[in-house]
Amino acid sequence: MDKNKERFPTTELNRDLRRLIVEMVYKGKDGHIPSAFSIIDVISFLYDDFLRFDPENPGWEGRDYFILSKGHGCLALYANLFKHGFISRRDIELFCMPGGILGEHPDSTKIPGVEASTGSLGHGFPFSMGIALGQRIKGGDNRIVALIGDGECQEGTIWETALVAAYRKLGNLCCIVDLNGSAEQILPLGDLKAKWEAFGWEAHEIDGHSQEELRRVFGKLQFASEGRPKVVIAHTVKGKGVPMIEGHGVWHHRIPSEQEYGHLMQVLSDESR
Amino acid sequence: MKADKDIRQQFADTMLEVGQADSRLVVVIGDISHFKLQPFAEACPGRFYNIGILEPTMISMSAGLSKVGFLPVVHTIAPFIAERSLEQLKLDFGYQALPGNIVTVGSAFDYSNLGCSHHCYSDFALFKSIPTVQVTFPASALEFDLLFKQSFDNAFLTTFRIPAQSHGVEWKPEEVKFGKGIRVTEGADVTVVVTGPQLKGAIEAHRSLARKGLGVEIVYLHTIRPFDGEIVASSISKTRKVVVVEEHQRTGGIGQEVLEIAHGIGGVRFASLCLPEAFVREYRSYEGHCSGLGLDAEGIVNSIESLLR
Repeated sequence: MDKNKERFPTTELNRDLRRLIVEMVYKGKDGHIPSAFSIIDVISFLYDDFLRFDPENPGWEGRDYFILSKGHGCLALYANLFKHGFISRRDIELFCMPGGILGEHPDSTKIPGVEASTGSLGHGFPFSMGIALGQRIKGGDNRIVALIGDGECQEGTIWETALVAAYRKLGNLCCIVDLNGSAEQILPLGDLKAKWEAFGWEAHEIDGHSQEELRRVFGKLQFASEGRPKVVIAHTVKGKGVPMIEGHGVWHHRIPSEQEYGHLMQVLSDESR
Repeated sequence: MKADKDIRQQFADTMLEVGQADSRLVVVIGDISHFKLQPFAEACPGRFYNIGILEPTMISMSAGLSKVGFLPVVHTIAPFIAERSLEQLKLDFGYQALPGNIVTVGSAFDYSNLGCSHHCYSDFALFKSIPTVQVTFPASALEFDLLFKQSFDNAFLTTFRIPAQSHGVEWKPEEVKFGKGIRVTEGADVTVVVTGPQLKGAIEAHRSLARKGLGVEIVYLHTIRPFDGEIVASSISKTRKVVVVEEHQRTGGIGQEVLEIAHGIGGVRFASLCLPEAFVREYRSYEGHCSGLGLDAEGIVNSIESLLR
């Protein structure tokens, strides 16, 4: 278990994992780097310090469930699945290549440790509610964590799920919103914390790139089979870690050229940053 | 079991029986049949959810239940599942190969005067667009009970289209087998392949034409997928003439499956009684819609006589 963990120590910027993501996109000639960079710190925290799992037995009954509802951020998940021994170096090298198991959206039918095939926004969150409800019926103490995007909050199923989960008192369910400003570009969400609270959720706001804040908030969340579901609104920066790609410009789905690849890797190697 | 027993009531009765025997069964409804299902709710506490009027979420959530080992039964009006929630069926159940069950009411134009929003005559086509989905159309209480018990815990998503009316035919239980058609009558002149309550009209047509010396062989299909091509092919090979009767649009209905089989046999004359490629817009009863569309005994007789001319 966690055989690669020492090679990828959690840092405030998870530079090694970010470099791995850039390498995958450069070699695979596909992928969403900025979307992955906005959630890599949150997902790394979950896999390093919060979720209970067993890479040798991904279907372990006692595991916690992590569902990446914003599937296009999957490179951040892949990097962590590699770090913790769910998938191999060869899997990483075959990203978006024939014979590989890693594509541009996570696939539960192929990848050990992926709980839901996502990609079309608004599916993974209600799916995670079903898992939470099922675990409550079974009497399990599993914790269910779904990560959705702020753009994904424009989907009606997000708010349908928010309504049902609060009414059904699914205290074993936690939703993380990756608030990287994508929604703001098109259809602003207003006071997101107030909205979730109005739906009956226990809401928290944090800096989604701060391991300290992640530890602080997740350390005090009370998971129970009955109770208020919890939402953690993670303020993040799309493309966080490399100024050239930060924000909402052309880098959303851009493949770096050789020169750009060199620059990205160099910036992510600079320990002084 | 009475041949004319209300099929929706049978759905509730079967849930009660199966739910008590199998603790994996969870019933999730979109605010219909709530009172009918109370015996199940009381006998199986914690496994009945009237989740609200939010069908796509209901489907995704049910797939999540399936993910952790339950056998969800999702129940509401057909178009809100087949049409509104198709992507959830495709991605959350179909692609992820998660088992479950969908039980719909509002077959074709059963909600006759409620109009287009509550009609659904595209469901076979839509469900079949998902590679792994099994599709059934149980048009009697016994058929629902047996088909459900034969398939609810298999590895697939299975749909059950419940019509408001039964065809009224009594079967021996051993005659109803999932995936297998039933040869209702034997005849050498023409084959009628029929599904749903239209079996009633097909039998009337058979009797009417028998008086004229014509032999109509009726092949009844309660399972749409897997499609029993064998029973259809064996009958068509004999009669070389076939009329297909279904309360479904032409595209994606059983007529196209029969036509494909007929093409393989060769020299077969084919006619189809189904919904045209047009919306049903009139306000009238179920029977009124049927007769307007030629979906009754008279229409079947006319279609057969045209084919034989």
